[in-house]
Amino acid sequence: MHDGALELPAASTRRAARADRLRDALARWAILIVLALLYVVAIALSDAFLEPAYVGNILRQAAPVGIAAIGTTLVMILGGVDLSIGAIISFSAVFCAVSMGGEAGNAGFAVAATLVVAAAFGAVNGALVLLGPGSSFILTLGSALALYGGTQLYSGGTARGIVSPGFREFFNHRIGEVLPVLALSMLALAAAMELVLRTTRFGRQIYLIGSNREAARLAGVPVAGVTFACYVISGLFAGLGGIAVLARSGVSSTFTGRGFEFDALAAIVLGGTVFSGGRGTVVGTVAGTLVLFIAFNLVNIVGLNYNLQLVLKGAIIIAASAAYAWLGRDR
Amino acid sequence: MALAPAAAARVARNAGIYGLLVVAIVLATIFVPGFASPTNLANVVTQSAALGCVAIGQTFVVAAGLIDLSVGQLLGLTVVLTCALTDGRGDLLLPVSIGMVALGAAVGSLHAALVNKLRIEPLILTFGSLSVLQGAIFSYTDRSVGRAPEALRWLANERLLDWPVAGLLLVALGVIAHGLLRHTRFGLRLLATGDDPESTRRAGVNVARVRWGAFVLSGVGAALGGLLVAGRLGTGYPNAGQGFELDAIVAAVLGGTSLAGGRASIAGTIGAVLVLGVIANVLNLLEVSAFVQTLAKGVIVVGAILATRAEQRGGATVAGTTAVPAAQA
Repeated sequence: MHDGALELPAASTRRAARADRLRDALARWAILIVLALLYVVAIALSDAFLEPAYVGNILRQAAPVGIAAIGTTLVMILGGVDLSIGAIISFSAVFCAVSMGGEAGNAGFAVAATLVVAAAFGAVNGALVLLGPGSSFILTLGSALALYGGTQLYSGGTARGIVSPGFREFFNHRIGEVLPVLALSMLALAAAMELVLRTTRFGRQIYLIGSNREAARLAGVPVAGVTFACYVISGLFAGLGGIAVLARSGVSSTFTGRGFEFDALAAIVLGGTVFSGGRGTVVGTVAGTLVLFIAFNLVNIVGLNYNLQLVLKGAIIIAASAAYAWLGRDR
Repeated sequence: MALAPAAAARVARNAGIYGLLVVAIVLATIFVPGFASPTNLANVVTQSAALGCVAIGQTFVVAAGLIDLSVGQLLGLTVVLTCALTDGRGDLLLPVSIGMVALGAAVGSLHAALVNKLRIEPLILTFGSLSVLQGAIFSYTDRSVGRAPEALRWLANERLLDWPVAGLLLVALGVIAHGLLRHTRFGLRLLATGDDPESTRRAGVNVARVRWGAFVLSGVGAALGGLLVAGRLGTGYPNAGQGFELDAIVAAVLGGTSLAGGRASIAGTIGAVLVLGVIANVLNLLEVSAFVQTLAKGVIVVGAILATRAEQRGGATVAGTTAVPAAQA
């Protein structure tokens, strides 16, 4: 009897601990659950979602936003935000097309130059955030406006530049008739970045700074350097996103990337990265991007017009983040 | 007594944005022909009034540590509905206006309910509803519909004893908003909630209700702005609200409202709206292209943030800290 009295609380504690762990796991993988549920709904509504080629196509569509969001995830884990990626995507697409000038031989140079310029713009953002003790939200909003204006001046307000022959064909080529190179690029970049976050000192430093900047500084983490690097990476990946847009559509218009920054933010937050920093994964970001794009495709397939698609896009963003918040509650 | 240093600091901060306004006006008067004419100055105020309404609403939301990206499209919906429903009939203006304000309050209430009950990030939530509202507008119409009643056009465009009516309305709204923020319990609780929601709740404040108030004010501000835009355009243009959300956030922040919450100034917001209005007007008078205007706006935002915040360097603010704190209901 005495034993039993002692046994009881121990058992209930263990059960409580198990429930906690379960809820933790649920919270961590909430986006994957949402993704799986949405995919089941999609299959129920249309057989197309069972075809590998169609899924490959969705991945290809998601690539520009997804790739850009990978870089911005780092800034978010750091506790900042980067609203300039839509502008960087737009500029990169135009700049890359102009640099190519329709010549096959220019493709390599054009891509390299675009990435350098995009990273340089990320560096400007990083410097602004370090110099101006305001919030990264407003500073990158300002730099985005400046770059949108600059892009319009540069392009003259219309589509400009011609992509190299073979450029689109390369990125849209389907490996094994299924997976487009563009989609593979997104998955590969995501895997590489997840690895960086999980296994390198740089990755750990980002989480440390995001959790507690002051503690990180006292622990000897080079806070300014890591912060700067994250904004450069965010700019670089937005440049990659711009190249991906160009590879997908072949046309560079001035406003290609307009609004992408909020699509990317929605994807990142759906993926479990929090605005306050210190938590988040790239895998979650890519899953969040896929949730958005499966939803867009679903609306298309059901045959709603563009305006109702906007309504549903918004509703899905709200519903998905509500589902996410519900699964991750009481943390 | 204890509040005096805080009030002094507030006045100093406002001095920054109004100093910028004075400098902008002086430079424009010297270098831009036609700027200083009474008609043009009245125009600047008239054209700024709608953004002023939206920005005042946004100031409350941001001060509470939230954000509202939906206000631009909410304004657009108000413009379309006002013109479509009244179709020029003056006798319908009052009921429709009341309906629009109620609509704004309802959208705000919905946002508050979702943030309070479901703890959705306000930025993502209101980005979602931006999309919903935009889709709703364009499902309803993709071209301009209806006509604004004569009385509404008068309110939005004309002058009363040489004073632009819309400007007078903005001043009245600003006085009310200032009183609400500085001299009521609600304002105090709002700033406390923005500063530290957890401690504020422990102190016995119903934080959920404060957030509800903030979102409702933001929705109402957008609806009032929409009525003015409807009067100015004279017709229900579905794209009328595009970009208002970001301009409103920019105005609030330039005016000294902290995106981290807990600090706000209505006078500062109005000053910033006028600065933006003067700059847009000057660039228009100089016939600068819209491209350069966008570029200039971005440079000014960054420059002004760096300049107005320079004196705070070395303080507690940390570079790169989050703009939108997580909603912790």
